[in-house]
Parts: sequence; structure tokens; C-alpha cells
Amino acid sequence: MNGRIVIAVALLALAAALVFAARPHEVTADERIDQITTELRCPVCQGLSVKDSTSETARQMRDLVTQRVGEGKSDAEIEAEFRAAYGDWIFLSPPVASWSGLVWLVPIAALAAGLVLVTGRLRSTDTPQVAAPSPTEVAALRERVAREEAAEG
Amino acid sequence: MLGRVVRIAVVVAILALVVTLALAFRRDPHDIRTGTIGKPAPVFTLDRLDGSGKVTLADLSGKVVVMNFFASWCLPCTQENPALVRVYERYRASDVVMLGVNYQESRDNGLAYVARMGMGWTTVADDDGRVALSYGVFGPPETFFIGPDGVIAGRHIGPIDEETLVNAIETLRARAVR
Repeated sequence: MNGRIVIAVALLALAAALVFAARPHEVTADERIDQITTELRCPVCQGLSVKDSTSETARQMRDLVTQRVGEGKSDAEIEAEFRAAYGDWIFLSPPVASWSGLVWLVPIAALAAGLVLVTGRLRSTDTPQVAAPSPTEVAALRERVAREEAAEG
Repeated sequence: MLGRVVRIAVVVAILALVVTLALAFRRDPHDIRTGTIGKPAPVFTLDRLDGSGKVTLADLSGKVVVMNFFASWCLPCTQENPALVRVYERYRASDVVMLGVNYQESRDNGLAYVARMGMGWTTVADDDGRVALSYGVFGPPETFFIGPDGVIAGRHIGPIDEETLVNAIETLRARAVR
């Protein structure tokens, strides 16, 4: 009995902790700046985000994002400003709804094609194709059956 | 039947890849088409490097503008400068305006470089880099060609030569006459 109570309390505590952790909370300006600069590519670096780069250009971009957040601009508006200047290239993860988004779709299409190919191959091995007997073979079989029936009769 | 479809799909995919690569390798690596090409040039108000006032995009309206981002610490900028000087001398009395935008540098260093390199055209300071960011600059040297209509007609990334400068300018002038 006591064991059940302990387990129930533990489960309740776990559920309460999960609910508390997942509760919607007000995103702070600093969190927004971090989020936006994490997605932006540093133009003078090799695969680094604006947030992670120590270059002067990245610093200027962070300053601009900070100013825009302070002015009350939405994330979409700030991203649109950078997109207007640099194109989709400026984002480390290309938007799905763009030509660059093909990088997301191609692996999925390749996987689907591979699955279709493998499934097709497996089916063809499961049901081996049997060629229809030729008239000569049919005649020979009939003759054999007739011979066996005669022998039994 | 299925195998045939897959084989055709693979051939089509390889052909598409070959065509894409062929087209990509034919492109001029200096002519990178980012978001600003074909769109109105972002407006700006910048201090002249020599402190004699400000320059705005509106001041240059109706003219062919060659906007060159440069810095004294940029070696390719030094390499391209003779071409810029020759083109400036060629068009200085015309409807063509050259504007040098000093990039990520102190004004003193920029001004000393301008004097040393004989840059007679207007030079301005982009202290906080905002103008460079609004034009989508990757790093100096970069040159933008803005038509009399205020639209960015082209950009050149890296050191530019005289022929490329003249061709771009003449194309814009011819378009303005039409």
C-alpha cells in the first residue's frame, strides 16, 4: 500500500515538474536576440552564426538586431531586413519554402526512392515469376498423368 | 516496371545535376546576385570622411552612382584603386558619381588612405556598418552600380578592373538615355 502511494506521489511530482518546465513564459529581449543571432550566418566566417562569431561584422549585426528588438520589431521583420540585403543565404538553416529549401526535400525524396526500390526488390524475390509451361510440356504431363491413371486402374 | 521507373529517375537526377553544375560554373563568381540587385538602393545619410558635411542617397538622385566599399587594411582595395582613379578621371565631368564608403575603420586611417591613394571622389564613413549591412556587403572591396532611377543594377565582389567599371557605367548611361 505504502509502495503504491510512493509511486503515485513520484509520478505526480514528475508530471508537475514537466508541466512547470513546459509552461509558456514571456520571452525576454535577450532570449530573442540570442535566438535571432543564432539563426543568422556571419558573412565573413566559415559556417559560424552571428551569435558565435567574434568578428566585427557579426558584432555590428548583433548591434542591429539588438536595436531592432528594442524598437519593437518582430522576429519576422528583423529577419526580413537581413533577407532583403543578403537573400536566404544569410540564414544558417535555409527556409523550407524557397529554392534553398530543396536541401531539406532532396534527402527525403532520396530516402523515399530508396524505400520504393527496396520494397520493389523484396516483392519481386517473394513471388518468383514462373513461366507458363510450353505446349510440349503440357502434352508430356498429360501423357504422364494418363499413364499413371492407366497403371492404377 | 518499377525498376525501369527508378532507372529513368536516376538518369533524370544525374542529368539535372550535370545541367545545374554546368550553369553554376559558367557564372561570374564576382557577380553574386543577392537580395539587393534590381531593388531600390537602401537610403543612407553618411558623414564625409573629411568632416565637411553629409552625403545622402537623395543627393545623388538622377545620376549613375558607383558606390565602392573600401578600407586601408584591405589589400585588394589597394590593388583595384588605380582602376578606380582612372575611371574617376574619365567621368569626373559627367553624370557619373563615384562614392567611396570607408568600411570598419577609424576616420583618421580612412582619411590618410584616401590622401595616400589619390582618391579625388567623395568618400564617406560608415562608422557602425549599417549601410554595408543594408547593401548586403560581405567585405571590401565591393562595388555597387546604382542607376539614375535609384535602383541597384549590379554589384561586383572583390577587386574590380577598369573594363568592368566602364562597361557597367556605360550600360547604365545607355539605359538612362533610352
